[in-house]
Amino acid sequence: MNTLSVKENFVVRMALFDNVDSAAESIAKLKEAGIDDHDMTVLSGVPYPEHVLGRPMTWERLPLIAMSGAGVGFLIGLFLNVVTPLLYPIRVGGQPFVAIPPTIVLTYELTMMGLIVSTFLGVLWESTFPSFGPKYYDIHISEGEIGVLFQVTPSKLKHLTDLLQVYGAKSIIEPEEWRL
Amino acid sequence: MSKYEHHWTMIVDLDKCTGCQACVIACQAENNIPVVGEDEIRKGRGMQWLRIERYWEGEYPNIRARFIPLMCQQCENAPCEPVCPVFATYHSEVDGINVQVYNRCIGTRYCANNCPYIARMFNWFDPQFPEPLNEQLNPDVTVRQRGIMEKCTFCIQRIRRARETAEAEGRSIRDGEVQPACGQACPTNAIIFGDLNDPNSQVSRLAANRRGFRLLEELGTEPAVIYLKGGESNVI
Amino acid sequence: MLSEKTAVTQSENYWRKHLMLDPRPVREMNQMILTAMTTVNKRYWITVTTLTLFVTIGLIGAWGYQIFNGMGVAGIRRPVYWGVYITNFVFWIGISHSGTFVSAILRVFKAEFRRPITRASELMTTFALTVAGLYPLIHLGRTWRFYWMIPYPNQRQLWPNFHSPLMWDMLAIFTYLIGSTLYLYLPLIPDFAMARDRTTGWRHRIYRILALGWRGSESEWHHLKQAITIFAFAIIPVMFSVHTIVAWDFGMTMVPGWHSSIFGPYFVVGAIFSGVSAVATVLIILRKTMQLDYFLREEHFDAIGKLVLVFSFAWTYFFFADYLTEWYGGEAVGKELLTLQARGPIAPLWYIMLITNILVPWLTLWNRKIRTSPKALLVITLGVNIGMYIERYIIVAGFLTRNRLPFDWGAYTPSIVEILISIGSLSTFLLLYVLASRLIPLIPVWEVHEGQISHTLRRVGQALLPSVSELE
Repeated sequence: MNTLSVKENFVVRMALFDNVDSAAESIAKLKEAGIDDHDMTVLSGVPYPEHVLGRPMTWERLPLIAMSGAGVGFLIGLFLNVVTPLLYPIRVGGQPFVAIPPTIVLTYELTMMGLIVSTFLGVLWESTFPSFGPKYYDIHISEGEIGVLFQVTPSKLKHLTDLLQVYGAKSIIEPEEWRL
Repeated sequence: MSKYEHHWTMIVDLDKCTGCQACVIACQAENNIPVVGEDEIRKGRGMQWLRIERYWEGEYPNIRARFIPLMCQQCENAPCEPVCPVFATYHSEVDGINVQVYNRCIGTRYCANNCPYIARMFNWFDPQFPEPLNEQLNPDVTVRQRGIMEKCTFCIQRIRRARETAEAEGRSIRDGEVQPACGQACPTNAIIFGDLNDPNSQVSRLAANRRGFRLLEELGTEPAVIYLKGGESNVI
Repeated sequence: MLSEKTAVTQSENYWRKHLMLDPRPVREMNQMILTAMTTVNKRYWITVTTLTLFVTIGLIGAWGYQIFNGMGVAGIRRPVYWGVYITNFVFWIGISHSGTFVSAILRVFKAEFRRPITRASELMTTFALTVAGLYPLIHLGRTWRFYWMIPYPNQRQLWPNFHSPLMWDMLAIFTYLIGSTLYLYLPLIPDFAMARDRTTGWRHRIYRILALGWRGSESEWHHLKQAITIFAFAIIPVMFSVHTIVAWDFGMTMVPGWHSSIFGPYFVVGAIFSGVSAVATVLIILRKTMQLDYFLREEHFDAIGKLVLVFSFAWTYFFFADYLTEWYGGEAVGKELLTLQARGPIAPLWYIMLITNILVPWLTLWNRKIRTSPKALLVITLGVNIGMYIERYIIVAGFLTRNRLPFDWGAYTPSIVEILISIGSLSTFLLLYVLASRLIPLIPVWEVHEGQISHTLRRVGQALLPSVSELE
């Protein structure tokens, strides 16, 4: 859940936590109170795996992107080693035009290049980078605090705020939209 | 018969070589090889495509000198060829010799390192032909730029000319029609050149000589230069 | 009751020596990093100016002079066609193995001491590769034709020769450079965001762009972590292949002393040996000049010292295997190479190498006190890199002086141009590093914090013992 698409008539709040235990517990309580997983986003200064916070797993396309990149690299390697020597055949050192041993070296290198480049592009694509906002954010996130961003109908707000405070929220703020 | 149209081969009879260096000078003149001067020669930057190596045998006063003219061996499995990243050196399928394409060379000098005969020369600086040397430049041969490799070509310009003449006259190249500058200059006829594909050529007959050997044969480079072992006469 | 309490406090103090068990608020750590980054004194500017001067003299002056006059201004000569330039190339490629080894391999094996030192070593990788990448260009006879090696459809209709180890080399280094730069950048994104939140002016503008709009949301973290894992696993085989291929530049030839199947692993081990030593050298200097005592502690030098010792053992093993094979082989030219090392003109260098690479590490680094003393470790690791430089010099410029035709033996001494260019390239590396040290957060705060969260002291019987929970 990268972005929270704010629904009509909903208000957005961010609860800040100092430690992961109270954050996880509060997320469970928010769910019990009827907040859908899609109406929540967690921002943090260190990576917490989903199961630590009790959040749904993100669907994963990155390994697929990486593997396809590797495949493309492999094909480019094959093209360079198998096709280009036949476009302009030149005999060197009594070796065949297309030789398997040097092909192994180079297709390996280009496969890895494809894998690496596509993984990087995959991260950018999957995280919709670069995107400079405006987005909900708070500077305390990069100070190690955990921000639980959620949207709720105004009627339920009071109840939830009280609940979160009980479960250890340091503060509950009306988050600003930042130009990051 | 080899897989090439011609299989140009050189026979060097060490029994006949006197170490007079006429071949070295002839080669230098024929192939527009720059004169680099004393200082550079002392550094080991002389550019002779053909050099006379001199080895001493024994201790003074029973000392003997042996000579061996050494040029590019035009190896069948040339170690210099596959290491070039830009195909500046490759094997000619027509002449069966190792070719250097000056204009492709970028000067990695990898080929020179990999040549077990140290036969390849590098243009450390732009070539200088001070007056009146410029008057005798051979118009059939390129003058090379700084930063590229060069080496003995078996006087490929003479091979080309002979082929053109033969083609114009509608015949094949006759034995002895192509003679490299070194062979032409040799006063004792120690250097014989010809086509190994022609069983009646002089080189074919000499190649069968039991004095014949190839330099550093154990490396498997299969040189196209065959030396005939020298006896007592190759001694001063 | 009281004595028990004291024992617990004592063991707690004992564990406080470890960064992972001595947590501080992230706010404070951020501040330490930002202060280190933004503090520049007069000495800093003098260093920058001096290095810039050397870079200008070496890379613009001397290299320009060489391009306009020809390779003859270098000391290389027949039969020593490769000299200091290729030595430098192999040396810098070796240094570039630091980052990947420390960062990727230790990350894959979850060695916790890596956390504060990954960034500094990854930076070394990228900059060392940049400098190494200059050398094939510097060494080309016709530098202005370098692009003929790049495979693209051109009007000459000629593709490069993929049988040539130099082509393998070029593509491997290119892959490694891209890979290590991206691998440096990915874990930097959260740190750039941290810096973005706390800076103003030109710094803020730069960090804002580099942070790509990072907020630290779940999916951002998830993809980043996953990418880092993929990179760590992918870049290790690339690292091995790069130095193996550099070794194959030599191993594929017929040159006596080079034609050896052991060269691949031998060079890889040598590269990691010199790379890890260089990490120690740089960390000691960083700690001293940037007040990073909180992050860089005895435990880190201790661990790196052990690695250096282990790789000294491994390097010696390969060195000896190579030497013994040559000694036993009995080929005349092989024997000549051994004589050249033991009694020839390069003998002094050879003995220095044996001392700095084998004798000194073996005699000193087993001792914890020496390993944890920054001064001693600085001297030892600098020595190792001098030794490793000599090793490459002997292999490249030394072995080429001898060949199978004694008439064509030669000698080689580097010329002033070669020395100036070498100094220029060393200065380039240092200058890039010195500039980056004030622009890039040198300690990955989030990784340190992540480690500190997962480490706790647990009471077992009478003692407090560290326990690690894996946040993965």
